[in-house]
Amino acid sequence: MKDGKGKIIASGGLVGILAALLVKFGNPVNMGICVACFFRDIAGGLGLHRAAVVQYLRPEVPGFILGAFGMAKAKGEFKPRGGSSPLLRFILGFFLMIGALVFLGCPLRMILRLANGDLNALLGLFGYVAGIWVGIQFLKQGFSLGKSIKQPAVSGYTMPVFGVAILLLLLAAPAFIFFSESGPGSMAAPILLALGAGLAVGAVLQRTRLCTAGGIRDIILIKDYHYLWGLIGIFVFALIGNLLFNFETFKIGFTDQPIAHNDHLWNFLGMALAGIAAALLGGCPLRQSILAGEGDTDAAVTILGLTAGAAFAHNFGLAASPAGATLNGKVAVVIGIIVVLAIGYGVVKSVAQKASEGKAKGGISANV
Amino acid sequence: MKDFYCVLTFHTTHHALNTEKVLKEKNIPVKLMPVPRQVSSSCGIAAEFPCESREKILKLCKEYHIEFDDVHQIQNDKKSNWFAKWISTSK
Repeated sequence: MKDGKGKIIASGGLVGILAALLVKFGNPVNMGICVACFFRDIAGGLGLHRAAVVQYLRPEVPGFILGAFGMAKAKGEFKPRGGSSPLLRFILGFFLMIGALVFLGCPLRMILRLANGDLNALLGLFGYVAGIWVGIQFLKQGFSLGKSIKQPAVSGYTMPVFGVAILLLLLAAPAFIFFSESGPGSMAAPILLALGAGLAVGAVLQRTRLCTAGGIRDIILIKDYHYLWGLIGIFVFALIGNLLFNFETFKIGFTDQPIAHNDHLWNFLGMALAGIAAALLGGCPLRQSILAGEGDTDAAVTILGLTAGAAFAHNFGLAASPAGATLNGKVAVVIGIIVVLAIGYGVVKSVAQKASEGKAKGGISANV
Repeated sequence: MKDFYCVLTFHTTHHALNTEKVLKEKNIPVKLMPVPRQVSSSCGIAAEFPCESREKILKLCKEYHIEFDDVHQIQNDKKSNWFAKWISTSK
């Protein structure tokens, strides 16, 4: 093992334990850390959607961004960069969020739900893996959003400043910011604890690069299990954490699981959509937040896409609820799958065209 | 185990896959792996190969129009801290 297995397991373990602790101290059950849910709550807090039960400026998100920013700065890895198909990334982020909100959770929450006995998340996991497999087929055909280039320092500071702004708005709580009075948005760990957990996760994941999508991609594509150990770390330590701190919520089964539904098909398809989008983006929502802190403005655009997706998901009634997936949500997932496949196909097509032009000039085709 | 190995890093996953295919055809040992942490904070895919084949590989990349980002020589971890030592002895 060239890179320490211990480190990646420990970083996953940190995420798992902190997630369990945040639930203990007030976050909604199985939502100790859920990047999709948190961006959805922030979109609500800013009034971009008016679903009264999911509005809160979650301090964990600025924590991820600023933690990664601080660590990257300290290690000389803060590199403002961008210009790799920002618009396509926005759209992929948008539909990733739609898929996640039909399933009710980002890939990380999927693992946390599994670690608390919610078997519906198994369908999500199967869907996510299937989606990543589909995304990989595009990668094999030459899919790439293009290489990013160096950008002025000021653009790299965008997301860290956004993080600080969210924190200031949370503390000042002006009248135009929405805070849920009931439902998941009203359940939150104390600000300092949530921010501290976010900072720790951001800093550690900047070092270890743990990513749910990257982990599964590497298993399928190059049979490398490095990141898988991190994912196992999240699962095992969240399980231990839940048994220690949240034992009263632990229940194995499909029914009556917190903030979950058992429309199996739509759990599967929602996460399949998220999986395709994450594979094409090269990272799950958590990883995008870390990259945004490092100065990656393409990841920052992806985050804006996630936030916009969350706003639309609630404005258009696409997000599922414990009652199940909505008709609008099902239609949106189907549209989303078509759109992300079209993006994959379109990019591959243009890459192939370029390759055949190269061939005419004496090169060889670049198909694997 | 040798003290060091070499890796190629790429701008796109596709070129990494292509490199593996070309080198395998030429019977040059190569293995795809996550980009080593020492090289970059990205989470992409790199190709590992013995440093002796470096010149040959760079020539092949040119010949087959494989765009790579950079070549790095990586030192294997010296197991310097107590935790790493403890893990390696308990394996």
